[in-house]
Amino acid sequence: MKSKAEVVVIGGGSTGTSIAYHLAKLGVDVVLVEKGYLGSGSTFRCATGIRQQFTDEANIKLQRYNIERWKKLSEELEYDVNFKQTGYLFLATTEEEVEAFKENIKLHNKFDVPTRLISPEEAKEIVPPLNVDEFLAGQWNPTDGKANPFKTVFAFARKAKELGAEIYEYTEVIDVIAENNEVKGVKTDKGTIKADVVINAANAWAPIINEMVGLDKEFIPIKPYKHQLVKTEPLKEGQIDPLVCPPAWNDSYLLQDGEDGGVLCGTGLEYGPTYDMTATYEFLREVLKWATKIVPALKYAHVIRQWAGFYAKTPDSNPAIGKINYIDGFYIAAGFSGHGFMMAPGVGEAMAELIVKGETKVPLDWDWYDPHRFERGELRSAAFQIG
Amino acid sequence: MRLSEHPILNFERIRGKEVTIYFEGKPIKAHEGETIAMALYAAGVKTFQHSIEKHRPRGLFCAIGKCSSCLMKVNGIPNVRTCITLVEEGMQIERQKEKPMLPKTMKPPKWKEPQRIEADVVVIGGGPAGMMAAINASDAGAKVVLLDENPMLGGQLVKQTHKFFGKREQFAGVRGIKIAEILQEELKKRNVEIFLETSALMLLQNGEEKLVVGVKKNKELVEFKGKTVVVATGAMERMIPFENNDLPGVYGAGAIQTLMNTYGVKPGDRVLIVGAGNVGLILAYQLYQAGVKVEAIVEAMPKIGGYFVHAAKVRRLGIPILTRHTILRAEGNEKVERAIVAQLDEKWNVIPGTEKVFDVDVIALAVGLRPSIELLHQVGCQIKYVPELGGHVVIRDSRMETTVKGIFVAGDSAGIEEATTAMLEGKIAGIGAALIAGVASSEWLKKIEEAQKELEVFRSGPFGRKVLEGLKKVVVK
Repeated sequence: MKSKAEVVVIGGGSTGTSIAYHLAKLGVDVVLVEKGYLGSGSTFRCATGIRQQFTDEANIKLQRYNIERWKKLSEELEYDVNFKQTGYLFLATTEEEVEAFKENIKLHNKFDVPTRLISPEEAKEIVPPLNVDEFLAGQWNPTDGKANPFKTVFAFARKAKELGAEIYEYTEVIDVIAENNEVKGVKTDKGTIKADVVINAANAWAPIINEMVGLDKEFIPIKPYKHQLVKTEPLKEGQIDPLVCPPAWNDSYLLQDGEDGGVLCGTGLEYGPTYDMTATYEFLREVLKWATKIVPALKYAHVIRQWAGFYAKTPDSNPAIGKINYIDGFYIAAGFSGHGFMMAPGVGEAMAELIVKGETKVPLDWDWYDPHRFERGELRSAAFQIG
Repeated sequence: MRLSEHPILNFERIRGKEVTIYFEGKPIKAHEGETIAMALYAAGVKTFQHSIEKHRPRGLFCAIGKCSSCLMKVNGIPNVRTCITLVEEGMQIERQKEKPMLPKTMKPPKWKEPQRIEADVVVIGGGPAGMMAAINASDAGAKVVLLDENPMLGGQLVKQTHKFFGKREQFAGVRGIKIAEILQEELKKRNVEIFLETSALMLLQNGEEKLVVGVKKNKELVEFKGKTVVVATGAMERMIPFENNDLPGVYGAGAIQTLMNTYGVKPGDRVLIVGAGNVGLILAYQLYQAGVKVEAIVEAMPKIGGYFVHAAKVRRLGIPILTRHTILRAEGNEKVERAIVAQLDEKWNVIPGTEKVFDVDVIALAVGLRPSIELLHQVGCQIKYVPELGGHVVIRDSRMETTVKGIFVAGDSAGIEEATTAMLEGKIAGIGAALIAGVASSEWLKKIEEAQKELEVFRSGPFGRKVLEGLKKVVVK
């Protein structure tokens, strides 16, 4: 293990590996440490969706940029991460929702996201087995999509290593060393790594890292909430390609996995804050009830897997991204509230540029994601939460 | 082809009323009580599906619902395990050639509250271990419920036509099929509630209780709540790598037994058996009883692994046992037509020029089993890899309780052994489960000790040595 580096990234999910890759690309001597294996925290447990359909300018702009990054990511990393623009389809059950959809669409269009209102009939053309009887309209953006989280993390890590980064798995940070409010490195269970810059990309576990450096754990109040997914056996592609979500039905959603065609089904039932990752029967019942309402033919599909992962939630469901002013050299990109995977390329790029150049060309609104906003009591409008 | 004459078995007894099922639109005669796969096989259908990526033909492999080789579309519903689903009049059965489409339906299901069953002890699996666990838990005073995903009780006993060894109280001299009947009768006497065709798909801690989520007949949800659970889910047949090992005609030894001994369906005309352990040897004899020719048994080890008596019987029939031989590949168009075997040197390399060709239509793999531990793993039992016991197994104490309090294990799911030890372990686990459930008096501890002693004696022979080595690694005080 190296004893010294310019930057240490804590956390080997999509955010951490993306940051490490982008730093290495800028010629930075970077080390990434991960307490489990890469992706084992939340990335490999995610629903794979990538969308631009948020309800605020900052997230829409960042995600509009991210879509362009995702489109070229396989080529850039020289590894197919299986990004597909299969779209996101939100469905309205009431007139009020239809009105809200219209407002969303106006905002999306303003930032060059081609969302539009569609009829139930058109929704059925896009998702043939959809039960449209109870829906009034759809909010449809064909340029949203999905990618393979396993391949993405692998591709970021592989390229980062090619560019000189070191990645240590099964290496747990047990202390972040700071002297006179300056970061000096990290102490791990495998040895100490000196560094002037440390980035907390531990997402659900970020508060633990913050405490190590002497910050109050409520300074950035990230809390782990257990969410779950079920997956069916592989099915023929093209049946439920987009992510389909009627928000009024307990934020339930489903989509076919871009790899094998199995249907991933989620719902809003959450537990927490907790670090327990046990799958629950309550969730199985709940999610199947909603999923078979959205696509009735799913009653004939077999569920072959169920698992849990964390939404690392902040009070406004927006991540904390940026520099911590109290401790020189300490940065954070965590608390993604379920959106870490879809934001990873742009966030990694922006963080790397912030550290190296002090500024970035990524349209990332530093004020909006400011880690200090919580202590000032400035909450953002809650980011729309589905997958 | 259905067997009608057999020196030991009487199939007319199990064959119910004649029904008609439709395979790709063609009518096929079947009998109530038969599974879809068995009825198709009897009618000469050996290819059940085509693989989704390379569209290779696939036939049976395990025939007990554990692999996914026999998935077919039944009445429009994809991926049905045809080996454990019973035929029904008018059933429409189709091969799947690619990833399936969802059936065309737009009617959301009516959500019905599931059936809820409460018991002191829930037993998952109705083989020798599970049945003994249920019988003994019930005798110790527990209210017991037992579920099994197969359409009949007995587990692998229902295909064992040979007589058992051991002591009289361990059913020495009794055929496996008969033991299954005896245990079933005992269960009946004790009022143990039994759910067949019911798969356990989840095992959870539910506060102080355990919850087993079951699905009956592939559609109906059933919740089993118990103070304790005995997991006796058996084992899954191993596959070995060789060219074309997925051709229809390459079957697990157990699948061949299911065909001919449980349902009276002739598996083929000429068979090559891979593996000369007890299963391979017994299978050879059973095939002979069913009127099927066994061309040879190949065994990679330098000597026969099974009991001498079984080997002697096979030798007397004139079946060659080729030790230090392995299978190189299967050949055939859409199904097995030939098997190519060759001799191995001391470093397990194939000796060139020793290839032999056997014109066979069935290759039986009797190359070992691995414990079915999925539910135990899911509920959080500590797992350890122990090759002597067949692979990953759970840590447990001498009363078969796992590291999750109130969850017990017995039989092959605890480690690969055989039916006699499975029954003894089942007895221990069943009583242990009743004790932890708080319904059995402490006098029952004596019964556990007795069974532990019997196990010890049974394992003291040369064939128990390997198992004992394995047990040292997983049994904690």
